[in-house]
Amino acid sequence: MRPPLGRRAPDVLDTEAALVARARTGDMDAFEQLAGAHADRLFAVLLRLLGDRGEAEDVAQDVMLRAWRGIGRFGGRSRFFTWLYRIAINEANRALEKSARRPAGVSIDADALQVPAARRDEPAPRLEQAELRTALGLALADLPPDYRTAIVLRDIEGLSTREAAEIAGVGEAAFKSRLHQARLRVRAAIGDDALISPGH
Amino acid sequence: MSLLRRTDDHQWSQQHLSHYAEGDLPARARRRLDRHAADCVDCGRGIRAMRALLRLIPAVEDGETVRAPAGIFDRIRGTETPGGDGAPAAPAGA
Repeated sequence: MRPPLGRRAPDVLDTEAALVARARTGDMDAFEQLAGAHADRLFAVLLRLLGDRGEAEDVAQDVMLRAWRGIGRFGGRSRFFTWLYRIAINEANRALEKSARRPAGVSIDADALQVPAARRDEPAPRLEQAELRTALGLALADLPPDYRTAIVLRDIEGLSTREAAEIAGVGEAAFKSRLHQARLRVRAAIGDDALISPGH
Repeated sequence: MSLLRRTDDHQWSQQHLSHYAEGDLPARARRRLDRHAADCVDCGRGIRAMRALLRLIPAVEDGETVRAPAGIFDRIRGTETPGGDGAPAAPAGA
């Protein structure tokens, strides 16, 4: 899990507030400094949600454009990154609706994930850690976008339930429901035997 | 315990494995799942699998260094100042 994003030292918050104020007056350098601090992680989220690097790059540019044009309406009641991520989730969902296709995955060779069927009297084959991560990546890609978003924000990005729910645009109870259902689906897709094999 | 009650508990437990593994169940519900899992091999394995999954998910990007593309700000250059015409879908009031 990445370091917590939502908890920053007060001086960082002061800097953020100052950059927001400058960006609202049309200072593009301030905006780039402000949004650039979150760009790598924002892009990682888009990549995970969209499953295609080219599309993630395209959407990331759109996110920045929309954030720049909308910064005047950012009231500062939430953290800047929460606001920026929410734009990103909206844009990713819009792109997914437009393409209405399964994410292509990150160059995953599906054949490599075919676990030979176990005979009834044999334990299921043990997946190595790298294979398990690949299987997880495929299972995440197969989730409905709302479920995938829940896991990406909460379990991969390490955001709090409150922050993740705010970004997803739902209440905390609804977000938790999505998250738990998403995890159950991923567990079913990977299988208990693979998950609890020795060494995992 | 009746078969019906046992079936109810099993289905309920299977639906709440993520809540359980995350510590997101009230005490009474947790005790219900504990009682059931003590006698149910599938749910016992389910708890272990869900705990393993919660450890695995954060590691899905291990070894990957994701960098934003260099041109991520290209589209804002040459645009109007913030709040210009067509300011679109940024969530209002945030």
